[in-house]
Amino acid sequence: MSENLDLTPEAAVRAVMQDILGLDADQVSAFTAETELFGALPELDSMAVAGLLTELEDRLDIMIEDDEVDGELFETFGNLVAFAEMKVAG
Amino acid sequence: MSQPLEYSSYPFNGHDEFCLRAGSHHQKTILFIPPLFDEMNRVRRMIVGTMRLLNEHAIGSILPDLPGTNESLFPLEQASLTIWRNALAHCAEPLAKQLYVASFRGGCLIDDFAVESRKWRLAPAKGPGLLRTMMRTRMASDKEAGLATDMTQLAEEAQRGHVNLAGNHIGPKMFAELQDTVPMSSGSIRTAQLTNSNQAADVKLSGSALWLRAEPDDDPQLAKAIADDLLSWVAQ
Repeated sequence: MSENLDLTPEAAVRAVMQDILGLDADQVSAFTAETELFGALPELDSMAVAGLLTELEDRLDIMIEDDEVDGELFETFGNLVAFAEMKVAG
Repeated sequence: MSQPLEYSSYPFNGHDEFCLRAGSHHQKTILFIPPLFDEMNRVRRMIVGTMRLLNEHAIGSILPDLPGTNESLFPLEQASLTIWRNALAHCAEPLAKQLYVASFRGGCLIDDFAVESRKWRLAPAKGPGLLRTMMRTRMASDKEAGLATDMTQLAEEAQRGHVNLAGNHIGPKMFAELQDTVPMSSGSIRTAQLTNSNQAADVKLSGSALWLRAEPDDDPQLAKAIADDLLSWVAQ
């Protein structure tokens, strides 16, 4: 059996967005820091956001506390990647 | 040729629970354990697609309703992982001695009801993660209603009777078991993950993570990839 692989925070965020939104790899690779998320993507409702946070915790081996999550976090792809990078750096 | 799919039932706790069967006349039968809670609805159609494909290759399968889920009349707030393991044991009783168990996501938390059997798993999920996702969904809907709820409050609410997490009534035993349970790691287990996953796997399958999506959907390619892998696994 293969071992768990370390992902960069950005790669993890892209993979999770791909899974949650049902996009293919090409579509999600076109996301830039400015790509708008919450409000711009109808599939990204509050239930999807709940799943997204748990998936990021699993894939990056981090814990995200309730008070770290606010609306700004999901405004753009760049915000979410910056948050993931900050969490991984500890 | 007999119907590929038929409704059947298994006895549990003095009543009958539904299960879906495919190819009941075949020699080998795979018991499917679906994902838990909301994830089950999003993946059920694909699982049934896999069951049809297996039937075409002379492998039977059975997909039980866990007590409190799908068509079951059992109150979900009384259900627990322990009760679900017992139900699965009842469901598996009439099947052949050599039992094949294929579980998806949270279903992998209860596939240890059959300690000796060979197990196949897709994207196994941990109990605490499933619970956190459900609690976050509840907290998001509370927030929209102007309420500030945190996970500690929800845990306390579960202790007092049951807590409604995104429409799932979770009793104290289920809550405590989810907090403490990860898929059992001993025995003969083949683990499958999707190609874009970074988690440990024996095989990577291409397809989409239907269980994470906002709405139920289907993925015939993934159903076929799963059926192909199960066929070679059962043949070993």
